[in-house]
Formats: sequence, C-alpha cells, structure tokens
Amino acid sequence: MKKIPILKLHDYLLVSIQTEIDDQTAMQFQEDLLQKIHVTGATGVVIDLTSVDMIDSFIAKVLGDVVTMSDLMGATVVLTGIQPAVAMTLIDLGIHLQNVPTALDIEQGLVKLHQELGA
Amino acid sequence: MDTKFKKIVFENSDMIVNMWMKEIETLKDGNYTSSVSDELFESTNREFVNVIFSSIQHRGSTHVVEDFSEKLINLGWPLSYITDGLQVFRRVTIDFILSHTERIDSTYISELIRSVDLWTEPLIRQLVNEYSGSWEHIVSLQRVALQELSAPLIPVMDNITIMPLIGTIDTERAKLIMENLLDGVIKHNSEVVLMDITGVPVVDTMVAHHIIQAAEAVRLIGSTCILVGIRPEIAQTIVNLGINLDKFPTQSSLKKGFSAALNMTGRDIVENQAKHKQIQDMIDSLSRE
Amino acid sequence: MEKSCVSIKIELDIVAARQLGRELAKQVGFSVVDQARFATAVSELARNIYLYADQGEISFDIIKNMNQSGLRLTATDKGPGIRDISQVMQDGYTTSGGLGAGLPGVRRLMDDFDIISEENIGTTVTVVKWKR
Ligand SMILES: Nc1ncnc2c1ncn2[C@@H]1O[C@H](COP(=O)(O)OP(=O)(O)OP(=O)(O)O)[C@@H](O)[C@H]1O
Ligand SMILES: [Mg+2]
Repeated sequence: MKKIPILKLHDYLLVSIQTEIDDQTAMQFQEDLLQKIHVTGATGVVIDLTSVDMIDSFIAKVLGDVVTMSDLMGATVVLTGIQPAVAMTLIDLGIHLQNVPTALDIEQGLVKLHQELGA
Repeated sequence: MDTKFKKIVFENSDMIVNMWMKEIETLKDGNYTSSVSDELFESTNREFVNVIFSSIQHRGSTHVVEDFSEKLINLGWPLSYITDGLQVFRRVTIDFILSHTERIDSTYISELIRSVDLWTEPLIRQLVNEYSGSWEHIVSLQRVALQELSAPLIPVMDNITIMPLIGTIDTERAKLIMENLLDGVIKHNSEVVLMDITGVPVVDTMVAHHIIQAAEAVRLIGSTCILVGIRPEIAQTIVNLGINLDKFPTQSSLKKGFSAALNMTGRDIVENQAKHKQIQDMIDSLSRE
Repeated sequence: MEKSCVSIKIELDIVAARQLGRELAKQVGFSVVDQARFATAVSELARNIYLYADQGEISFDIIKNMNQSGLRLTATDKGPGIRDISQVMQDGYTTSGGLGAGLPGVRRLMDDFDIISEENIGTTVTVVKWKR
C-alpha cells in the first residue's frame, strides 16, 4: 500500500497527493492526517490535488470527511489545485464540497489559511 | 484491350483535351463558375485535365490530386465542377475512341466503357474524398472559432477575468462555457471571474442551474465567481422560481462587480491626486535631508 | 468489435478498471474532461460491484458507426440485485453510508444509461459515452 507523505511547515501541514488514490490509501491518509494534527497541534492544512486526475464519490467523501474531522480538531483544511476536468466531474456527480475552502495553488492556499485563521 | 484504349487516348491526348475544354466551356455560362475570369477558368481546366491524365497514367497519383482539390476549395468552386468535369471526360473519351474505331460490336463497347470507368472511378473517389475532407477541416476550424466566440474570456488585469455572455444558453453551450471558464481561470491564474449575464435574454430555471453549476465548479478549482448584470426582471425570476443564489456573490452591474473583485483581491482604485500627494511627500522628505 | 474486460474481485481491481477505462477513452479521442468523466463512471460502477455484489465484471467496447464513435461500459454482477431502481437512482440514497452519488452521478456523467436488475439474480448497468 502507498502512503501519502505529510509535511510540516511551521503551524501548518502540507500534503501533495501525487499518486493514484485507491480506497485503502485514502482511508490510511485520513488516519495519518488526523494523527499528525493531534501530534503537531497544527492549525491549518493544505491538501494539494494538482496531480489528481479523478475524484469519484468515495474519494470525495473521504476528502470531505477529513475536512470536517480536522475542523473538529481545530485545524482548517484548504483544498488546492483541483483540475477543471475533476471539478466538472464532481459537479456531474452532484458533489459540491460546499463547506470546504479552496484555492488555486499551494501558495494561495497558504494565503487563504492566513486569512481564515486571522493570523 | 485496356492498354490499347490507353494508347489511343494518350496518342490523341491533344484532340481529346480540346474536345473536353470545349464542352467544359459551355458549362460555364449561367453556372457556378460564371463569375470567374476566363483566364482563371481556362488555366484551372488545363490543370484539371492534366490531373486526369496523370492519374490515368500513374493509376492515381495522390499528391497531384490532393493539391488540385485543395486549390478548388480555396477558389470556392463547388464539387459539381469535379463531377461534371469527369463526366464530360468520360463522354468525350468514349465518343472519341468509338469514332476512331472501324469495327464495333457490343463486347467492344462494354469493354471500352469498363476501361474508361476504371480510369475515372478511383479519381472521382479520391477527388471527392479530398474535397470533402478539406471541407470538413474548414468547417471544424470554423466550429472551434465559433465556440471560442460563444464563451470568450477576457483577462482584464492580474487575477481578474471577465466572461461576458451574450445570447441564449442551452445545455451544449453551458458545457462549453464551463470548460472555457475553468481553463481560463487556470490559464490566467484568476482569483476572481466576473460572469456578466447582461446579454442573456432569458434566465429560466435551466439557465440559472447551468450558471450555478459553472460558479460551483469555479469555486472547486479555487477561484471565486461573481455573477454580474442581474437585471430587475432576472432578480424577480430567480426569486419567483425559488432558485437559491445565496452562496454566490452577485452584483447588478459589471462596474460594481469589478470593484468587488478589486476588493477581494486586496486592491483599490487610487485617485491620481493621492499619488501626487505621495510623490509630493517623497520630495518633501528628500529636501528635508 | 473490440472488447476488453476486467474482473472485479478485490478492491485494487477498481483502480485497474478505471485505469483501463481512461486508457480506452484516450484512444477513442475523448477530451480530457470526458476522459475524467468516463474513468469516474468506471470507478463508481466497479466500486458498487465490489461493495454490494462482492464480485463481477466490467467490460468495455468501442462503438463505431456511420456518424459517431464512443465507448460502451457494461458492469455485470450476480449479486443481490436492486429491488427499487427508482429509489437507488435518487441523489443521496445509500445503504452503505456513502454519499449516494454513484448511480445518479453516472447517469449525468454518461450520455446513455441503462440498468437492469433482479433480486437475487444480479445487476447489469450499461452506459455509453459518445465522442463529442
Ligand atoms: N451492483 C449493485 N448491486 C446491488 N445493489 C446496488 C448495486 N449498485 C448499487 N446498489 C444499491 O444502490 C445504492 C445507491 O448506489 P450509489 O452508487 O448511487 O450510492 P452509494 O454506493 O451508496 O454511495 P457512493 O457511490 O456515493 O459512494 C447503494 O447504496 C446500494 O444499496
Ligand atoms: Mg456507489
């Protein structure tokens, strides 16, 4: 099974998903991220999806859940780099990730975190 | 037999060409090519007949045929010029060979027709294919141009883009709008896009639905869509239909939308006077030292 | 017609199926967006097989006729079947704590959609995406 690396950047965590996500990997990632938030006390997370070429309902649910769960633990998550093709597919699936903050790329994701956290 | 017919045709090519040219001339009047100058018509005819002969000789020499059909497309001549031309060639050739043969029986005639058909058939197929192929190419180019026209994206300044929509929005166009919108956002790295619907005559549930979907997709890729150009009657329709636009920033005019966009990207319009004052301050501070 | 199959037995088969789906979509000449749409539909149907029927098969064939070409995707299983099809086609209906987005989503992602299911016999979903 693949493991998605989670980097620490000051008070934030940075994740760049580079592999095809199978269900196991997604579930493992959910667990790893929450664990890492717990250990580091991170207040913000950027998950970059630039290299992801497909998000189906399962992965969308895992992502949405991880955002809500992190929120409960006091960490704001921003999703960045969702590709146009992926966005259109999500819209067709009826998945809008309504309460999830988004940004164009990692850099703007970090800016967004700063704004959201009022830092 | 075939070789014999070919020999007759090539030995008398000048005469056959002349007969062909004469017949083609008569087709010109009151026809598709009537507006064409005589010189151009004649030179094209010559080229055509050369193509025919070289194709018979080489059993279809593709690139000559290709060049010729492309030329016809560029001239804007119709397909019937090709089919008429080959039809006339068939008739003229058969007439010529028959009139130069002493003993004629039905086998001879059928062999002759078969031979001539075999010469012209591949040519007709190839020319028509080339011709329609080039046409399709042109049409598809035009379609692309039209698609771009129907959903243009204008980067007005760093991080701010405008998409003015004009005309009716159906499902097909809505898809295109969304694709252009998202690709444009990525290309121009736009933090804010203004979708201007001033020019959309009717906003019903379907159109509103498409617009909302586009705005949602824009949000997913990490940008913000501001809907501008909401006329009074559109505001009424939206509320009466129970469409919820709460989640999206909207403005009545492009102008208002643009200042909202500036605001969102942390910018402001600074009057020149302020700049003057800044410069004045700088000069003042300089002279103090 | 060309036909290719992937049997769905373990979870990783879902990934194999959608990768093949994307590859074929590319071959047929789908736009990047339609490739993503097609691969996503494959993923949804393959996962439904894995989750609800335990095992089954995904097959693809390339359709070529006079004026258009496309890809047909068939998902078959001999699982428990679906009693009320109109119910599972509703957005948000799920028996597994999912989003309930799969089947209604696949219908919107594809151009043609057809589902046949009988209780205790199995389910077959056939969808087609045409090249635009
Ligand atoms: N192949 C199948 N065999 C039996 N039941 C099925 C099958 N596919 C779907 N179902 C039933 O239809 C319901 C809806 O399926 P759908 O794919 O729309 O949503 P989901 O799988 O529950 O969630 P999601 O796909 O969003 O993760 C499922 O919960 C399941 O009860
Ligand atoms: Mg499902």
